[in-house]
Amino acid sequence: MDLTWLRLAELLVLGAFAGGAGSMLGIGGGLITTPVLTLVLGVPIHQAIATSLCCVIATSSGAAARYVEQRLSDIRLGMTLELTTTIGAIGGSVVAGLLSREALAILFAGLLTYAGSSMLRRAFRPEKPTGDGPQTYTVKRLPVGMVGSAGAGMISGMLGVGGGVVKVPLMYLMMGIPFKVATATSNFTIGVTAAASAFIYYARGDMRPVITAPTAVGVFLGASLGAHLMRHTPSRWLIVAFSVIVFYFAVIMVWKASHGGFPR
Amino acid sequence: MLRQETEEKAQNAIAVVLRYGSMLSTLIMALGVALALFRGGAGSPTGGFAPGTLLGKVFQFDPLGIAELGILLLLLTPVLRVLAAIVAFGIERDYRYVLISSGVFLVVLASITTALR
Repeated sequence: MDLTWLRLAELLVLGAFAGGAGSMLGIGGGLITTPVLTLVLGVPIHQAIATSLCCVIATSSGAAARYVEQRLSDIRLGMTLELTTTIGAIGGSVVAGLLSREALAILFAGLLTYAGSSMLRRAFRPEKPTGDGPQTYTVKRLPVGMVGSAGAGMISGMLGVGGGVVKVPLMYLMMGIPFKVATATSNFTIGVTAAASAFIYYARGDMRPVITAPTAVGVFLGASLGAHLMRHTPSRWLIVAFSVIVFYFAVIMVWKASHGGFPR
Repeated sequence: MLRQETEEKAQNAIAVVLRYGSMLSTLIMALGVALALFRGGAGSPTGGFAPGTLLGKVFQFDPLGIAELGILLLLLTPVLRVLAAIVAFGIERDYRYVLISSGVFLVVLASITTALR
């Protein structure tokens, strides 16, 4: 793929959108970049995943610096969970190399469906209101969290997402972490997870700078902007719109996988 | 009081690492992209970090080589973040988390070694 002005614009916009949405919703944006890259721009799915992992890192780095400054991130908890997440991530990345494009597409569709419905649930069930000051809480069910994080890591490595879409509910619903802390911590840890995955893709030759670089630059810009806006919780309709898009992608993914839409 | 100060300094140090690391990598990627646009980037397909060839590409101003360097830096930013956390925990004398963070670092290091040629 050559780099034309048009291609550059497409990738920058895609990246900015993914980075902005990702940092506002506490995820890495990989849920958006992988489908768009592979469905709209025709990038082979393994390469799309490699690019998405870089985008997750860019989102995480762009937004995380502010969260740490805002003292919301629980670095200790994040690191603890990352022990199993990163191991899962390596496993997932290796497995992805063994799977066909269609298989990955179908798995991705499953993840999209889960992400969309979990977003909708979050939109219609208001979180317990928490103040903006320092949060006090105790971490519950750490073993469950560790196992769940390994799963999140596997998903990250296989599908090019940060794992936040699994980890935020895990922390918030199961481990008793306040929502904003969970989101901030997730923003910080998904970068580490994605890095663990990304090196494997890089080693396998799936990393295409001509695609990755423009997208990542766009993500960095979008995520920096999104982090500023994070102070205001995203409106319900934004989350609903996001879910609709995500469900749409899921359907297309399955359709293409079953109709030979990922030619060699 | 002193401990709280060092803790805050540590938090700030981590934030600085994140911000400048990712900014630098983004700038380098942007540079590579710009060069690719204006000079027509060739670049051979990437696959594994062979220090010789990558740096060779960079010094030849191969646009995609430069972009690749930026990408590698981007990938390393979270790794640096973990290192910074290890140091920060060490300053706070929280050795339990020095250990945990080191564990994370080792796992990521294992991943990096697969990319070395």
